[in-house]
Amino acid sequence: MNALSRFFARLEGPQTLGRGPGFWIGFLIVLAGACAYPLFSDGYTVGNTVYFFTWIFMALGLSLIWGYGGALSFGQTAFFGIAGYAYGILTINFGAAYGFTFIALLFAVAIAALFAALLGYFLFFGRISGVFLGIVTLSVTLVLERFMAQTAGPEWKIGAARLNGFNGMSNMPPLTVPWPGGDIVLFPDVQLYYVVLGMLVLVYLGLRILVNSPFGNVLVAIRENPERAEMLGYDIRKYQLGTFVIGAALAGLSGVLYTSWGQYITPSSMGMTAAALPIVWVAVGGRSDLTTTLVGTITVLAVFQALTIHGSQYALVVMGIMLVLTVLLAPRGLIYALARLIARPFSKRQPGDA
Amino acid sequence: MPMLQTLGLNKRFGGLHVTNNVDLTLQAGEVHCLIGPNGAGKSTLFRLILGEHLPSSGAILFGGEDITSLKPFQRIRRGMSVKFQVPGIFKALSVRQNLEIAMQHHYPPAVLGEEIDKLLAFLNLTADSTRLAGNLSHGQKQWLEIGMAVSLKPRLLLLDEPTAGMSPEETHATGEMVKRLNAQGMTVLAVEHDMAFVRQVAQQVTVLHLGKVFAQGSIDEIVANEDVAAIYLGQTTAHETAHEPAGGPHA
Amino acid sequence: MDVGTLAFSALYQFGDAFAFLVLSACGLAVIFGMMGVINLAHGEFIMCGAYVTVSAAHAGVPLPLAILIGALVSAAVGALVEILIIRHLYDRPLDTIVATWGLSLIFTQGTLIVLGSTMAGVGTPFGSFTVGDYSYSLYRLVLCGMAVVVIAGLYALFNWTRFGVMARATIQVPHMAAALGIDTRLVYSLTFALGAGLAGLAGGLYAPTMTLVPTMGTTFIMEAFVTVVVGGADVFLGTAPAAAILAVVKATMTSWYGQLAGQIGLLMAVIIVIRVLPRGISGFLLRERA
Repeated sequence: MNALSRFFARLEGPQTLGRGPGFWIGFLIVLAGACAYPLFSDGYTVGNTVYFFTWIFMALGLSLIWGYGGALSFGQTAFFGIAGYAYGILTINFGAAYGFTFIALLFAVAIAALFAALLGYFLFFGRISGVFLGIVTLSVTLVLERFMAQTAGPEWKIGAARLNGFNGMSNMPPLTVPWPGGDIVLFPDVQLYYVVLGMLVLVYLGLRILVNSPFGNVLVAIRENPERAEMLGYDIRKYQLGTFVIGAALAGLSGVLYTSWGQYITPSSMGMTAAALPIVWVAVGGRSDLTTTLVGTITVLAVFQALTIHGSQYALVVMGIMLVLTVLLAPRGLIYALARLIARPFSKRQPGDA
Repeated sequence: MPMLQTLGLNKRFGGLHVTNNVDLTLQAGEVHCLIGPNGAGKSTLFRLILGEHLPSSGAILFGGEDITSLKPFQRIRRGMSVKFQVPGIFKALSVRQNLEIAMQHHYPPAVLGEEIDKLLAFLNLTADSTRLAGNLSHGQKQWLEIGMAVSLKPRLLLLDEPTAGMSPEETHATGEMVKRLNAQGMTVLAVEHDMAFVRQVAQQVTVLHLGKVFAQGSIDEIVANEDVAAIYLGQTTAHETAHEPAGGPHA
Repeated sequence: MDVGTLAFSALYQFGDAFAFLVLSACGLAVIFGMMGVINLAHGEFIMCGAYVTVSAAHAGVPLPLAILIGALVSAAVGALVEILIIRHLYDRPLDTIVATWGLSLIFTQGTLIVLGSTMAGVGTPFGSFTVGDYSYSLYRLVLCGMAVVVIAGLYALFNWTRFGVMARATIQVPHMAAALGIDTRLVYSLTFALGAGLAGLAGGLYAPTMTLVPTMGTTFIMEAFVTVVVGGADVFLGTAPAAAILAVVKATMTSWYGQLAGQIGLLMAVIIVIRVLPRGISGFLLRERA
């Protein structure tokens, strides 16, 4: 019991909104609901829900980089795309037997993280911050999209995998669990749902521990006042780079899951519009908290999908309006403002939240 | 071995010679005040010692080690610590969190809370520990900043106008803090305008004028020095006025 | 091919790249340099200028006048955007980026909904001429000239006019400028409108050379970003020399390996430059002078 309470203590801290028994009871209820959900739904709808879930990792990564670290990066979709393509290339070449798809997942995420480390080295050790960080990462993303879009020719192939230019890659095997008596192929259905849900819970709790650890403290300190943080003896470049790489790896995880889910990846998943969407989810939800980011991302995605029935152009206009209004009226996020409102009567005022 | 030594430290911005061959020596265990009119080069010298600027020529030795080309955080790790003139506290975090960020790498988690409590008491901030740092009074912000600097247990504490904007009572309380820190063995270098504070704490005083060391000695010697009084009244000699307009007197 | 035609070809490539970089970037650079704001809807102001120009030309307005109308309409939209949105965000530069990105989404998709996926263009005027074995577009030379005219015009505006002096005063010491009776809000509005108008001008000028689609802004922004990042905060000491240096990189890479290589070359250049000169060329020059 003591070990359990110590574990819970590490999940809580000034850097996250939800805390106390009330929050965790609510968390368990939601989790139980999420686990029971497939029982009350059909495979197709469950598979569709997984599609929502795949994006959340990227959003949580952006919350870490932007909300906690204060560095606005538009590069999340670039790492998403790199990992997606890497997964495709690896699995098309080496197949899905012996659980290789999960090894491919790890490699793909590692490749995205490596790319982020390289780019981040130039950015953070060059002391790029603020608006420039945003536009350089966006430029990288756009050039990557254009690069992938012109790989239509037959000379653009890696092993058996054709890159296929603007049409993108398809028909890579989905994630496959090796199982005695026949591999379990995780098509968008109930099984994939549970695997991704499990990953989501792990990543969410892991990030909570991270932001409430000394590392998270320093990260928030850098956001608030980089000069002071440096004068406390912290090499802020390393903290920023570390955060950037972790965020990129999560974007990469989203990319792999997305590619595996739909068995395709195209350059437009890295384009201008695609790059804007994570910003919308995270900004509207409330970037400076993991829980509001998570809830916000699911909410915005649900709204987006509901609107898409009337045409995706309209949905994107609404996204744009939501983004502008959020920045003007609720700079810390709509869900964040809402959560504060709900939490106020139940808890005494906590320092550091204002 | 001296705690800190600057050897022929020069800094030029374009044609302007902001510090000119500054030799400054701090013995371990002393409280040393740096005074001088506006534009004397005090802030620049401070930033050179911290590593925020790199000198055009000259060297800085810290505990005998040449730190001239080290980055700020590397100097901090060797036992320097700074309180800025404009408090660089984390305004959106609580007082306690501010100290936590400063101290978390220096104490095991088990004793961290206790150490923070001790420091809060030292800073007269115990009652305010859960307030947002941004909501503190001006003097309290200065103390919190001093606390963050002190929490690193530096060998050398650098204070840039620690009492700027404080009431006489707050200034006196700050002076007592500095004396207590010094009594525990901490070496202190302070840039300060407030002569009452300088009298209260300083064992050695260096007067900087037009980028050069103008006079050095005990507080009594400096107060008795007529040339020092003259520069504070703006009566500079002709060849120096040609260099830069003289600074005015200070409160 | 003899040395003369080779040299002309290289010069033409360079001039073409230089003009594109300067015209793409100057609107973004004016707003960033004067206000510290990065306008992510910059590409959409370019698109706006192009659409208005072509619509006016279809209505029978002569092309130079149509381009001017395009620039003015963009400037007006810019002023409106400043008053409605940007004005409220001056102390939050990162939020300005996010808000202008929202605008960019709205403009792009709104244009798509209202005007459809493409619009009939106008032909490139002036025809072509040949040097050696190659033919060159005369209009590209006009664009090159326009780039120089724009830089000279901005220099005159900021140094010799009342607005220019007020704007520079406002940028350097805002509260002092306000204390001297300058309407700083008006200065910011006009500066933003100027930047948007320059973007519209770029759109109008390039409209005859490209296909009009709602997403055409993205063709320009990468180049605009890169030029502003390399240049830093000063239009004259930054943007112009940055465009000249990057034009060499772009023209060389493009003529050897194609358009995409040109862009990748630009990106590599910018990443190396920020590692060496974090505040861009103008930051470097101004520090040395200070």
